[in-house]
Amino acid sequence: MSTELKRQLITHLPRLRRFARSLTRSVPEADDLVQESCLRALSKAEQWDPAKPLDRWMFRIIRNLWISEIRKRNVRTGQGQVPAEETSELVTAETGETHVVLGELQGQIASLPSDLASVLLLVSVEGHSYAEAAELLDVPIGTVMSRIHRARKTLAAQLAEVAGETK
Amino acid sequence: MTAYQDKLSAYLDGELPEEEAREIELALEDDPALQAELEELMAADTWAKDQFAAMASEPIPFKLATAIQDAKVAPPAPLETPKVQRTGWLVAAGLALALVAGGTGGYFVGASQDTQLASAPTWLQDIAEYHAVYAGQSRHLVEVPAEEKDHIEAWLTKTLGDAVAVPDLMAQGLEFQGARLLVAAGKPVAQLMYRDGENRIVALCQIQTATPRDGFGETTLGAFQMVSWGGGQSNFVIVGDEGRGDLSEIAKAASVQL
Repeated sequence: MSTELKRQLITHLPRLRRFARSLTRSVPEADDLVQESCLRALSKAEQWDPAKPLDRWMFRIIRNLWISEIRKRNVRTGQGQVPAEETSELVTAETGETHVVLGELQGQIASLPSDLASVLLLVSVEGHSYAEAAELLDVPIGTVMSRIHRARKTLAAQLAEVAGETK
Repeated sequence: MTAYQDKLSAYLDGELPEEEAREIELALEDDPALQAELEELMAADTWAKDQFAAMASEPIPFKLATAIQDAKVAPPAPLETPKVQRTGWLVAAGLALALVAGGTGGYFVGASQDTQLASAPTWLQDIAEYHAVYAGQSRHLVEVPAEEKDHIEAWLTKTLGDAVAVPDLMAQGLEFQGARLLVAAGKPVAQLMYRDGENRIVALCQIQTATPRDGFGETTLGAFQMVSWGGGQSNFVIVGDEGRGDLSEIAKAASVQL
């Protein structure tokens, strides 16, 4: 069972890493998160139901571990993470140490706050419904709806900016 | 109008009730600004999808794949433990083989073979390099040629710590070529090489273990197919190109002779 799970985890790595990146906004942190999540999954391999989609199970493990990591950091630094609803604009590379690595993420997706990027990934790319995304991220459906809209609006504004620059 | 604008994403995602979706469609017909906004959102979505797609096709760090593959699993059921340990090397060997072939189902995409080999742990590198040699060279396929069958059996038996015998697989169309000694998961592995009429290589690998597996198991890893089984104080695996179709038969023929 564990050997089969390992094999499936390795097969799913590209998508697991991508989801982790949408949360961490950093490549090295995403890889650490994925590794830890896979080890966590293997440690409870007996809970794995091969008949159910592995990605959903893993997305939830990844997300829960990330939330727990964020909480630990908040305790250490005394700084809370601001939910996307309360931030207005893009995350900028100058705002702090954790954002320096943002440059390693490809493209403009990197500049989306993680709350927006993860919803966009789950719905637009992974094909989850709003209800499924809400369950995976443990937020209300209305939040999924507003976040995905804000994610697209933010990217659309960037596209317009890029188009303006090249004119 | 703002109410419609805020619902455009949900409309795009098919998340609006039928009635509201109709309303938006009607509004879109008469409102070029709303239409332009929808197009902008769609363009943004395509842009995002392209970027996310690029992320998923990036090469996976070897370190990450091997950390998962080598993870020590301590499942609650005591029966599970030996199973993991005795098949761990098999996954590792398969990864190494897949690495050499370059056809890995996507997770080493983009890195050159040299880069992959350079970043692999030593034991994996060893196996991969051996296989790279035999895949590319016909004259130097083996370390000890088939003519020295008796020496091969004595040498590998001594090295592995369990009896190594060379099965006759001529009835399966496989001619014994000779043997190599590999190292996987820090343990010696005997590798007996066979060649078929179409010049394809099939390898029989053997590793000593205190807990041989029960029955036969089939696995496909990258471009290779593997059939494994246990017997005596060893686990065995037959490795060949994926899609051969006769590996189970070969494995059974080998197993009755071992």
